[in-house]
Amino acid sequence: MGRVIVVTSGKGGVGKTTSAANLGTALALLGKTVVLVDADVGLRNLDIVMGLESRIVYTSMDVIDKQCELSKALVKDRRVDGLTLLAASQKNNKDDIQPEQMKAICDKLKTAHDFVLVDSPAGIERGFSNASAGADEAIVVTTPDVSAIRDADRIIGLLQHAGIEPINLVLNRFSPQLVGNGSMMDQADVLDILNIDLLGIVPEDAGVITSTNRGIPLVYEDASPGSQAYMRIARRLTGQRIPIPDLEQKGFLANIVDWFTRSR
Amino acid sequence: MANSIVALRAYRDGLHLIIRPHLSIEEVEKAIQQEMSRMNQPLMGASVQIDLKCPTLKEEEMSYLKSKLQETYNLTVRSIEAIDEQAPPPIAAAPTTHAIQQRTDTQNSRDNEPSKIIPYTIRSGQTEEFPQGSLIVYGDVNSGAEVKAGGDIVVLGALRGNAHAGINGRLSAVVIAMDLVPVQLQIGNFVNRRTINQKPRGYPEIARIGVEDVIIVEKFVKF
Repeated sequence: MGRVIVVTSGKGGVGKTTSAANLGTALALLGKTVVLVDADVGLRNLDIVMGLESRIVYTSMDVIDKQCELSKALVKDRRVDGLTLLAASQKNNKDDIQPEQMKAICDKLKTAHDFVLVDSPAGIERGFSNASAGADEAIVVTTPDVSAIRDADRIIGLLQHAGIEPINLVLNRFSPQLVGNGSMMDQADVLDILNIDLLGIVPEDAGVITSTNRGIPLVYEDASPGSQAYMRIARRLTGQRIPIPDLEQKGFLANIVDWFTRSR
Repeated sequence: MANSIVALRAYRDGLHLIIRPHLSIEEVEKAIQQEMSRMNQPLMGASVQIDLKCPTLKEEEMSYLKSKLQETYNLTVRSIEAIDEQAPPPIAAAPTTHAIQQRTDTQNSRDNEPSKIIPYTIRSGQTEEFPQGSLIVYGDVNSGAEVKAGGDIVVLGALRGNAHAGINGRLSAVVIAMDLVPVQLQIGNFVNRRTINQKPRGYPEIARIGVEDVIIVEKFVKF
């Protein structure tokens, strides 16, 4: 039996879809069977980020309407073994799907896959309740700014209320330079407010924009810092213990102090 | 309560000096001195109304106090009002002033009212309300969350959201937090907003209504 993980955030534009695409691909690269489920009915994007938009024939709406079998609606990613996508309908809106129907789809998918990653839409309304209906666990994506964190806090409250556990945090678009000069919250501040376990930190990476536009997830490139961060997060999801590297950029003096304190 | 016999309070119509039952005029004098020393700045030329909550104070004692207030603290007594609190007069052998206060201070009847404990962090969008008494939070109150209580609010963590103590109009209610950095804080019908970029100070703080009808925030040492 696989795990259904909802990737959510509350606020839009913090990197839910990018994170879902990269973590799904990374897990498949690690040899897991993964299905990515786009729950953003009416505003689907995951197919574009995955570069699979031209190959979608059926969507989750067709499965719910019994127009096709669930297995037929899964689009196979040919670049890596074991990765498929269940797209959302672009014609319908979120109220056309019931949470129970999404749960039934997730329950069915997890019998045949190691990971079911559900890409949640922004907001706390129907789209969110649909996306989280079948979830066993949650990944909350946030950027280190106060508005995203407040929304993440709201989402964590709702997930806890729904009994979804564990809830892990991915801190996205983290800029060591901005933290270093004091204009961005550091990870300790964020964790102090949200008080959930940190799954990983993804540094700000301009490569995300090009990879999104090209439809090739970042994790196919080894060198990019974003790619490495997502690979580490994927490994942690599979149960490997990988420490979170210290991305914070310290001054020369602070590094020396660090070096001395560490050696003791 | 630091001072059980004398209290200086700011109300809509100005300053009130409340005198509660006591054993001797010396005790009142000492209590006034204590209460004044709590002030950060001297009350230059302010006028006060004396709320007499004890029937035992004699006429000549009163005039003595009036001149004393004028001379030492530059306070003009605007009026004197006897307020019957139906409290039994203090017994001469009362062991401590604390015992007297418990019986007489009805505005601060924290002992007799229930309080509610919230054993978790209150997150954005969540509201906890307890009009019957005080709220104690074993966690944080995050930005976007709201806590409301008829009495006091105590947060054993960071208060980053909105807090409203004394929702039924009790002006003696206080808000205490380990990190007092609320977006908005209300006591009774008084509102205090966060100053921009307020950083945690690293010590617990207490907010209450001080003189001049404003919410004051100070380091919390003891109640």
